[in-house]
Amino acid sequence: MKRITIDPITRLEGHGKIEIFLDDEGNVKNAYLQVPELRGFEKFCEGRAAEEMPRLTPKICGVCPTTHHMASSKALDDLYEVDPPLPARIIRELMNSAFMMEDHTLHFFFLGAPEFVVGLDAPAAQRNILGVIEKVGVEIGKKVIDARKRCRQVITLIGGRVIHPVCGLPGGVSKALTEDDRTQIIDAARNAVEFTQFALKLFDDVVLANQEYVDVILGDVYKHRTYYMGLVDSNNKVNFYDGMIRVVDPDGVEFAKFKPRDYLDHVAEHVEPWTYARCTYLKKIGWKGFVDGKDSGVFRVAPLARLNVSDGMATPLAQEHYERYFDVLGGKPVHNTLATHWARLIEALYASERMLELAQHSELTNPDVRTIPTRTPVKGIGVVEAPRGTLYHHYETDERGVLTAVNLIVATQNNIAAMNMSVQKAARMLIKNGEISDKLLNMVEMAFRAYDPCLACTTHSLPGQMPLIITIHNPEGEIVKTLTQ
Amino acid sequence: MKTLIFGLGNTILTDDGVGIKVVRELKKMMEEHPEIEFKEGSVGGLSILDEIEGFDRLVLVDSIKTADGKPGEVYRLSPEDFNTPAHLINAHGVDFVTAVKLGRKLGYKMPEIIDIYAVQVKDNVTFSKECTSDVQASIPGIADVIMEGL
Repeated sequence: MKRITIDPITRLEGHGKIEIFLDDEGNVKNAYLQVPELRGFEKFCEGRAAEEMPRLTPKICGVCPTTHHMASSKALDDLYEVDPPLPARIIRELMNSAFMMEDHTLHFFFLGAPEFVVGLDAPAAQRNILGVIEKVGVEIGKKVIDARKRCRQVITLIGGRVIHPVCGLPGGVSKALTEDDRTQIIDAARNAVEFTQFALKLFDDVVLANQEYVDVILGDVYKHRTYYMGLVDSNNKVNFYDGMIRVVDPDGVEFAKFKPRDYLDHVAEHVEPWTYARCTYLKKIGWKGFVDGKDSGVFRVAPLARLNVSDGMATPLAQEHYERYFDVLGGKPVHNTLATHWARLIEALYASERMLELAQHSELTNPDVRTIPTRTPVKGIGVVEAPRGTLYHHYETDERGVLTAVNLIVATQNNIAAMNMSVQKAARMLIKNGEISDKLLNMVEMAFRAYDPCLACTTHSLPGQMPLIITIHNPEGEIVKTLTQ
Repeated sequence: MKTLIFGLGNTILTDDGVGIKVVRELKKMMEEHPEIEFKEGSVGGLSILDEIEGFDRLVLVDSIKTADGKPGEVYRLSPEDFNTPAHLINAHGVDFVTAVKLGRKLGYKMPEIIDIYAVQVKDNVTFSKECTSDVQASIPGIADVIMEGL
């Protein structure tokens, strides 16, 4: 048997790449973010029964299985033209809220907090969750893990399994909840409300109280004037589970508001020769390249976008934070990418409050959780908000419900164009005259880490993380520096 | 000693699920060992923490893609062999080694003995339920190697 040491930079294949090209003066001519992509999922699904999709699509991703399960279940509702009864809708949204809370707080403590709590100047080896715990204490670390665990128990309770839930069916869910379940969910939700308020307080104390950090957040390096997209409810409040898709322009004015079924009239995909990932853009504006502004079809999704497209949050505590967020950051829309970290925590608080509301709903334990489909299927489209943005599932079948075509637009794809622009802008502004320090490269990396991109799911393989490699080329195209963080 | 044999991977991603397939094979071979628990999961990072807490010994079976390995080859590794930093670029990235370190730091009972078997894959980016032929053929042999190492 072979013995090797696993070094991501020399020994592993399949990784994310930032390629930076310098000109004769040592300034950045161009920069690209390249991501590997999995192949052939749509093809793999063809010929299978549509009702398998809620169990199959969570396997695309070990991080967002719950949202794929939701989008897929909703696509089946649409396919069979059935409305789930109210208790089923409550159960589904409850599950999605628990997942949002878990994923958002995890992101903050593992990815956002290391920059700010440990410090922008700290060596990469310390800018991680272990470094955060070193600073804030073991007790807080335990709280993070505990809050996450409780939310995952809620997902397991509802979905049968936490990683690959099995509850979603066309027209509802497979299992009703009991009063005992309610007690446990209320307990988890109360804990989540308390914990996310604590996380917001930490953000206040560590980030907002430090002028240097506020300057970094508000600085031009991390700013793009783009369109924004997200789901809103009938009052234009943020909603993760259902509603209309709203798009606002770079001035914050509503540009479009449409039903999931009409997404192809609004969203198109652009292919670049140098990356597998397809960039989405607004069809009615058109693809004008990796540029921002009103004339470019580039839009953004995820927390920053969702707060920008909405008129508020549907729960009281989150609404208070929403108002303060726009006050502090100078009004709506906020174009500063790094503000995503703050927006994410406000959403986590909303998800927690929403969880509590739904857990207390009188209809939660009503056993009527299924509307049985009777129509012949043709086409179904389901849209939800994943932690990383708007997620589209589109299925077409023959009259037996066997899939003939599948189209998925995953959340990260909607941010690919913006992420490239962010990396390019940060590289241009931070790397001057050939001077390349680790700190500068970290600041380039911060430009896209805020988006929390899904760099494909090849992370199933050891060592369990996708190495990101940054290569810098001289004007002749030769590699002058290679770095991995 | 309370032992967990844990297969990791995605069984619809060609060779990515080889770890799970090896563990299924081992489970068939070792039916009369009540002290050994078998688990499989398409999980990463922190979720692993939930699964391995409370065991004395962990045997992890997963796939790997190195630059110069032959498909179906197996490496026996320990957590120290992973030169990967705990610094993350996305939430997928909470790797196994960091998860264990975090677990220890927070006072959870983490396995004292950890062996990692990593099987070299040919394709882990194409959706398919079947492994490639070299990887598929290596499964019984790898199960034998792991059983001998227990």
